[in-house]
Amino acid sequence: MAKVEVDAPPKGGFSFDLCRRNDMLSKKGVKPPSYLKTGTTIVGLIFQDGVILGADTRATEGPIVADKNCEKIHYMAPNIYCCGAGTAADTEAVTDTISSQLKLHRYHTGRESRVVTALTLLKSHLFRYQGHVSAALVLGGVDVTGPHLHTIYPHGSTDTLPFATMGSGSLAAMAVFESKYHEGLSKDEGVKLVCEAICSGIFNDLGSGSNVDICVITKGQKEYLRNHLSPNPRTYVSSKGYTFTKKTEVLLTKITPLKKLVDVIEGGDAMEE
Amino acid sequence: MSIFEYNGSALVAMVGKNCFAIASDRRLGVQLQTVATDFQRIFKIHDKLFVGLSGLATDAQTLYQRLVFRHKLYQLREERDMKPETFASLVSAILYEKRFGPYFCQPVIAGLGDEDKPFICTMDSIGAKELAKDFVVAGTASESLYGACESMFKPDMEPEELFETISQALLSSVDRDCLSGWGGHVYVVTPTEVTERILKGRMD
Amino acid sequence: MKIDFSGLESTAPLCGANSEMFDGISTSPSFQIPDTTDFDDFQKEAIQMVKPAKGTTTLAFIFKEGVMVAADSRASMGGYISSQSVKKIIEINPYMLGTMAGGAADCQFWHRNLGIKCRLHELANKRRISVTGASKLLANILYSYRGMGLSVGTMIAGWDEKGPGLYYVDSEGGRLKGTKFSVGSGSPYAYGILDSGYRYDMTVEEAAELARRSIYHATFRDGASGGVASVYYVGPTGWKKLSGDDVGELHYMYNPVEPTVVEQEMSEA
Repeated sequence: MAKVEVDAPPKGGFSFDLCRRNDMLSKKGVKPPSYLKTGTTIVGLIFQDGVILGADTRATEGPIVADKNCEKIHYMAPNIYCCGAGTAADTEAVTDTISSQLKLHRYHTGRESRVVTALTLLKSHLFRYQGHVSAALVLGGVDVTGPHLHTIYPHGSTDTLPFATMGSGSLAAMAVFESKYHEGLSKDEGVKLVCEAICSGIFNDLGSGSNVDICVITKGQKEYLRNHLSPNPRTYVSSKGYTFTKKTEVLLTKITPLKKLVDVIEGGDAMEE
Repeated sequence: MSIFEYNGSALVAMVGKNCFAIASDRRLGVQLQTVATDFQRIFKIHDKLFVGLSGLATDAQTLYQRLVFRHKLYQLREERDMKPETFASLVSAILYEKRFGPYFCQPVIAGLGDEDKPFICTMDSIGAKELAKDFVVAGTASESLYGACESMFKPDMEPEELFETISQALLSSVDRDCLSGWGGHVYVVTPTEVTERILKGRMD
Repeated sequence: MKIDFSGLESTAPLCGANSEMFDGISTSPSFQIPDTTDFDDFQKEAIQMVKPAKGTTTLAFIFKEGVMVAADSRASMGGYISSQSVKKIIEINPYMLGTMAGGAADCQFWHRNLGIKCRLHELANKRRISVTGASKLLANILYSYRGMGLSVGTMIAGWDEKGPGLYYVDSEGGRLKGTKFSVGSGSPYAYGILDSGYRYDMTVEEAAELARRSIYHATFRDGASGGVASVYYVGPTGWKKLSGDDVGELHYMYNPVEPTVVEQEMSEA
């Protein structure tokens, strides 16, 4: 008997069955869609007790700011975080995948994840897809071997650096790091420098904007400072709100009351035979 | 022409006080030709969870069928409805699976989660989640919708005011778009009831 | 480099033609030709560049009492509606109307230019130009620019010594005489209503209603047409605007709807 074509939950991996149709469409002159991007400034640096990661919070789709406060610092492991730039779906998916692999690895070994493990998993994933998974990452964390900071490019190459920047705002941020970074920064100095670098990206790069997210990872602990700085508050909200002169005309209304869910009482009397 | 503009659509979802609203236009076109004016783009997954699918209509319907299938499997296995957050992750995973040959479809998800907390979210066609606290938009009229919602939205609206706001935002936006409009379809969902309304709009 | 079109000039030379004052008006206008090695490619690009205001529905037909001209009022750029209140029926003079489809700037400019030429003809010959003549003036200009990127699809409707006149003129150089035309992206829908409802012996009211209905149905089906359906009538005493109805309201006039009472769906108790 032929294999039953049931759309069962897939085991994972990509599916290419729409590729032929989509190729045909693009050959007929239909433009392929644009994806959500994070035209981004992401940075990281090593300070005296660990690693600090920073990111802006703007997501763009072409010229449109699609999300004014998105999260670009992704969780990898309790002691490892990763900033993502590039196609939003790719950075999200790649960090989620590797983070779950790390968790399984921790269950298996019973030890804390190492940053190099995350690095190797990420780079081999990205290398396998030859740059088509367009994620540019800044990976940082503290493990038994000390603090680590890496950058990973979409094709799978990596760098190990004391301070790193990525994304469209990387030049603006790197300018700040190059002029002000030195070894043995204190935590406050480090956070201040990261803020300055991200702000430089926010204000000088059109693809970056809104707020500053920061993550400080030290030996045994971490501090995720969501919206550490909000240098671009909304200034144009009318206090009066918005009123409508003409009421919307409705042609048909249908109201469906929702049933209250039945409460199940555990441990009631067993039903009589 | 982008493939998203083949059929034309407008979708918007907004959060109110313990409630949410999701609205769409009613047009199905083939480029500039209007084929139907009672097309459905918003689908019910369960009583408190709705999904709107903008973009190519054929993909929207296929995707909807897959989502219903997966949700029913979940219901059978778990004997409960999916939380909106879980459902969003499911949609995202289904879309990302086709990363290199995507569905030409941009979903909007709106639902009431734990303790009836409203949840809204949108994605691009390969499943990059965009969670928002206020409103989300999608479709060919999305740029106009961004503008309208950005100025009309205010936090913590009651269901009636929320309906008025989302309707006005939708109707005024689609009046600036050739490819969407021809009436509107609005769902307002509170913890106790679902109100579905068909809006009277310009038919050009 | 310039192309000289003076040979195409058909207006009679004015007395004292050396007068500088008339130079700009009486000589046929000419454009600078771009200095480029690949002129064909340049033209293709130029055509792509100036493409706004494409979607339109315009129509005109001759009937017993004269000519009825109608149009929508939407201007669009891609999917975006840039205006819902465009005047697509251009008043050339009190006896002649032109309609606008294609490039808005091209239509407006050359209709204004045609208006000048018609007035000059009137002054030189002491009588009004015929619709035939006016449409030919326009067709000759458009032909001289053929293939250079102009985008015009127009109808010249009017009343002259021979009675009602109607011509279709386009930027490909075509010029057709006829009794019933519709131009623009919504024209197939308009033709549908027009052809099924047309009779030669209609009254002005019937004809106006047919025109209005045709435009309305076109705006309903065509995404690039909409706004206001304006209807003009050209009779022996010149043109008159009969109506300008918002098709948003027209739809509910043709298809009345009663808001249904609230449907309450009872939960299974």
